[in-house]
Amino acid sequence: MLFEFDAEQRLWQDTVHKAVLKECPPTLVRAVADAGADPSPLWRVYADLGWTELTDPADAVELAIVLEELGRATDPTPYLATLTQFGPLAPGYADPDQSGAAVHTGITATPEGDGWVLDGTARHVLDGDRADLLAVVTDAGVFVVPASEATAVRTPAFDPVLHLADVTLAQVRVGAGARTAADPERARHIALTGMALTMVGACRRALDLVLDHVRTRHQFDAPIGSFQAVQHKAADMHVALERARALAYFAALTVAEDDPRRRIAASMAKASAGECQSVVFRNAVQLFGAMGHTWENDLQFAVKRAKAGELMLGGAAEHRALITEAQLAGEVS
Amino acid sequence: MKLSFDTEVEEFRAEFAAFLDANLPTEAEAAERSRSTAHLPEWARRWQRLQFDEGWLLPGNPPEFGGRNAGVIQQFVHREELSRRRICHSFNPQGVGIIAASLLSFGTEEQKHRWAVPILRAELTAALGMSEPGAGSDLASLRTRAELDGDHFTVNGQKVWTSGAHDADVLLTFVRTDPDAPKHKGISVLIVPTDTPGVTRRPFASYTGPDHKDFNEVFFENVRVPAENLVGPLNQGWRVANGSLGHERTLMWLGEAERLEAAVRDFRPTNALDKDWYATLVMDLQALRLLGSAALARAARGEQDVPALSVLKVFGSEAAQQALEHVLDAAGADGLDHPAPTAPYHHMAFDDDSASWFHRYARSFGGTIAGGTSEIQRTIIAERVLGLPRR
Repeated sequence: MLFEFDAEQRLWQDTVHKAVLKECPPTLVRAVADAGADPSPLWRVYADLGWTELTDPADAVELAIVLEELGRATDPTPYLATLTQFGPLAPGYADPDQSGAAVHTGITATPEGDGWVLDGTARHVLDGDRADLLAVVTDAGVFVVPASEATAVRTPAFDPVLHLADVTLAQVRVGAGARTAADPERARHIALTGMALTMVGACRRALDLVLDHVRTRHQFDAPIGSFQAVQHKAADMHVALERARALAYFAALTVAEDDPRRRIAASMAKASAGECQSVVFRNAVQLFGAMGHTWENDLQFAVKRAKAGELMLGGAAEHRALITEAQLAGEVS
Repeated sequence: MKLSFDTEVEEFRAEFAAFLDANLPTEAEAAERSRSTAHLPEWARRWQRLQFDEGWLLPGNPPEFGGRNAGVIQQFVHREELSRRRICHSFNPQGVGIIAASLLSFGTEEQKHRWAVPILRAELTAALGMSEPGAGSDLASLRTRAELDGDHFTVNGQKVWTSGAHDADVLLTFVRTDPDAPKHKGISVLIVPTDTPGVTRRPFASYTGPDHKDFNEVFFENVRVPAENLVGPLNQGWRVANGSLGHERTLMWLGEAERLEAAVRDFRPTNALDKDWYATLVMDLQALRLLGSAALARAARGEQDVPALSVLKVFGSEAAQQALEHVLDAAGADGLDHPAPTAPYHHMAFDDDSASWFHRYARSFGGTIAGGTSEIQRTIIAERVLGLPRR
């Protein structure tokens, strides 16, 4: 295996990076967090750039590049939920202008006539309060319902830019046509990979901010970044990031090539991103000193996004258990 | 980015696999074991020479130096195939991987044929004389002195940690030739035959056991070395040192990947805690392969990104060390047995690879100390990859 971006992918990465810097700058994220600015114009920018059309498995690496950059920027739109959680559960519903969310647990489907009745409440649904469509996973299959048929209440989270909601479907009747042909297991792999890439991007942003800080902050008549204790923490963050990033892109590649290693790769991506955020959060806040503790410091957006990712879709420990099980069962890795 | 190699690369692999199937020494032939990293039993010499003659020893070299002008990807596949089968291609790894390679990069045509080819063909074995009692991480402060006097140098001083020196025919020796120049600018490199009068070698045991002798102290007392044994220009030895260590670095992570792979294979976790770290081990191995292959792809494009290789060094060696410590701890009282076999014996691998769990863990510090300690690697990453200011 040769694990490196080709020339086209490098160009794409550069293009995406520049577009994100321009369209989703730190000032915008700050405005969303502090003043409740509306991120929907940004969503339309992504649609105009064609990023909401990256739904074909063959585009998985290109999508991964966008997700990493958006993780780095603390994207305030429902892009992650739409492209990596809703989309894979709702093949055939791809509409570049509409956002979606995935409801993974808490909803039952009871057959009635030639359809089903969906009922229940799901907690902590990513972007459940602002998606146009919901993909609802039940024992009877995956159903796509307009969000207008559900009741969603946003619940506050420590990440001030993140949208989480309690979503209730109260006796919602759906026809046979609402059931999708999705493979929920494959969709889960894509969701894990997407979350891992977001976390990797967020960790990268945290490291960037730390490096800027320790280069310019002077104590004892020297930049603190010249002290070995500081340098070695930064090096540890970089190594953890390289490891998590490699495993996240490997998972994206197994999606693109529909490789049988996809299952273990997705868990490795999520687990290593979780391990990475632990190293990065701890060292980043520590190296910023008291300044890292302030609301006005943008470091908070990066480390909170990374930590939030760890708490969604199963944490590192849960995925390590899956990895060992798969390895011992003789699944290739 | 892709998950598989092109057909021509796979054809190369198949050709090498066929060579191995047809020519690998049998277990009976390989009964005499190598006692140090510069000791080659007769069968190991024949094995290495055969690979040289067939162009499989270092496939990236031209045929006159044991290769077939293969590209970096092919060289990777070659190493992958050896590693998968637990085959050592040379039992004098530093001689082939560092010393001969340095001679081919920096030596004269005459030196290449007089020294490098015999080392590659296993007619001579070689050891690397870099570290000194006062020059470890700060290698450039080395003090072994060589004075040019007409047609020869006179060498005085001491080396230490010189792996395999007691079994080596020649030492690639880093010496100070200009004591007045800044420390990086007064170093030169000499080939010193170990039978030269005034050379004394004293092997000493590692902490794994009193009989495990690979380290050496080497003393030089008025040793006369012909001037023609100077490798590279006078006082340009620092460049050779970086080149020497750089040679193996693109592929060096493979050694750690092999150790990790062996730990994945040789150990089965049973309780919940062991299963938890076992997953970390599986991830470390996969991430190291991915990062290593990316470094290789860069090398294939002709990019030399030496600081980035420090990431592979520190990550691979520490991952292997952590894994082996966990395995040792998980063994409980059985881990006390020493010596003890912990993996199926393989006659083409170094015996260290199947030694006791304690031995395997203890030996992992070679990875985190030799060739630049983890501390030095972290400083390189901070200053040269992340751009932090120097002290």
